[in-house]
Formats: sequence, C-alpha cells, structure tokens
Amino acid sequence: MTEVLPVEDGIQNRVETILSGFQINWMNLRDADTGKILWQHNDDMSNPDVEHEARVPKRILKCRVVSREMNFSSVESMERFRLEQKVLFKGRCLEEWFFEFGYVISNSTNTWQSIIESAPESQMMPANVLNGNIVIETKFFDGDLLITTSKVRLFYV
Amino acid sequence: MRTHVPNFQGLLNILRKLRSHPEKELRLLLLGLDNAGKTTLLKQLASEDVTHVTPTAGFNIKSVLSNGFKLNVWDIGGQRKIRPYWRNYFENTDILIYVVDCSDHQRLEETSLELAELLQDDKLRGVPLLVYANKQDLATALPASEVAQDLGLHLIRDRTWQIQACVATDGTGVKEGMEWVCKNIPVKK
Repeated sequence: MTEVLPVEDGIQNRVETILSGFQINWMNLRDADTGKILWQHNDDMSNPDVEHEARVPKRILKCRVVSREMNFSSVESMERFRLEQKVLFKGRCLEEWFFEFGYVISNSTNTWQSIIESAPESQMMPANVLNGNIVIETKFFDGDLLITTSKVRLFYV
Repeated sequence: MRTHVPNFQGLLNILRKLRSHPEKELRLLLLGLDNAGKTTLLKQLASEDVTHVTPTAGFNIKSVLSNGFKLNVWDIGGQRKIRPYWRNYFENTDILIYVVDCSDHQRLEETSLELAELLQDDKLRGVPLLVYANKQDLATALPASEVAQDLGLHLIRDRTWQIQACVATDGTGVKEGMEWVCKNIPVKK
C-alpha cells in the first residue's frame, strides 16, 4: 500500500525536488547596441536566502538598449516553466517582464535574454539616485508553484 | 571582415515593421541539426561575440521589447536526444527558421528527414519557412540551390518558403533572411 501524503506535503516535496536540481549558472548585462558584456556573474544566484550584489559600470545608464541574460540548468523536467522579472526602485516596481517557457527538458541548460529599450535620457534617474536602490527580482515558477526567487541589487560604479 | 553588420538593430527593425500589424507578439522558432549554426545565427542577430558558442543542451531565447511589440526568438538544441522535445515548442510559431550546415554532406539526408517531419506537423501547419543554407564560406559547402533540391523545397505547396545562403559566423546573408521574415509574418486567425 502506498502512503498518501497530504496535498501540501506533496507540493512542498515537488518544490524541493525541482529546487535541488535547479541552478542559475550565470547572469550578465550587455549594451545591446554593441553586444558587449558590461557585467557578468558566474555564481549561482538562485539562492533565495541571499540578496546578491552587482557592481555595474555607470555607463550602462547611457545605453539606449540593455540586455539582461540568465543561464540556468534544471535536472527535473517542468511542464509550465515561467518567470516574473521585476526591476524595483526602493521596492517600487519600475518595470516587469513575464515570460512563459513552457516545457523544460530534464537535465537541460537554457538561456533567456531580455532586451529592452531604455527610457529617454531625460526620464532617466541619475546614477547616484539609482545606486544601491535598484533590485532585479526574478521569480521562477512551474505553473503556479514558486520554485525560487533571485534578487540582485545593483550598484553603479 | 564583416560584409554585413546585422546587429540587434535587425531584430528591432522587425518589430518596427510590425507597427501596423495587428499582432503584438511574434514568435520565431529556430531549428536544425546540432552544429548547424542556430545559436551562432541568433547571436549574430544581436551582434554578440560568436567565437565561443557551445552546443545547446536545451533552449536559448531572445526576447525583445520595443514600443509595446514583443519578439521572441526560440533556438532549440539540435542534438538527436533533444529533437523529440522540439514539438513542445511549436505552439504559436509565426515563422519557422531551419538552419542547414551545407558542408555536412553526410547528414544532408538526416536534416532533410527532420525537416520533412516538421512540415507534416499539425502545430506548424501553414507556418512560413525560411531555410538558412549556412556555412557558405567553407569550400565544401553545397550551394543553396542544391540544398533546396535535396530538401525537396520545390515540392512544398502548403506554405510560403525561402532559402537564403548565409555565413552565420560573419553575418553574410543573415540580414536578407530576416528581411524575408519581416515580409512574411502571417496574420493569425
């Protein structure tokens, strides 16, 4: 006879199984006009307990088009993988991006790059105002199930 | 030496041309055998460094947002063990881009069979097809016309198609293919 777990336990197990095999391998920011990388980080940034810090060159604020890219691996397959990415200024959402990947192959490594035209320079807040106050928050889901949250705080140097 | 610089501007231009288009979101699907040059092509479109491209063990996606229009380009790994999963990514595809390594004579039949299977799939029915005849810089590369013959493109009756000779590593021909894509975006029913 198989033991029937309460629903919540089953869900929690599923989240833990996916999370234990889920890893963000690297993230970067590019000037999308030139394709040049302005900042790259190669440690796992999917640990939800840590707020990561990124020191990004100030000139990124002058870029007309910026690309944010993340590479991640998953041991488990997922049916309806999606993410919600927000750019927060002092906790207030300036920009958000929802993306649905759908199926994720087991033991796959995947990249998602979002490219966005920035606000006109006149509307752009200066580096000293933004410095340390911008957080890129990325939430990963399988369907409605939150797998993990990655937070990266930006410092403009 | 670069003959063309089909930078990220190329992707944005596609979006600009969509302005009068009723669809706000566009999905391009890049498929082909492993080592055909799909990821290199995608990187070339964004003027990124293409010297260290590794085999894709899953997917690579570029999402571009401009003036409320969104373009998503999906590049799915082409290794044999990944191909059975291609079908998971067919839904809502506006244009299918198939990349062929024209110097890989040995696998021409294999790539032809894979393409034939794609064209028979219900989820891709009527989706316009662009074939990039890649690696034209290699001495052993077959010309695009010959590859078209081998793939049986002239027998296609249920969709518009185009074959474009290209060199993904330096961008030659990439822009021309994208221009065809712009002109052939279907209006969804």
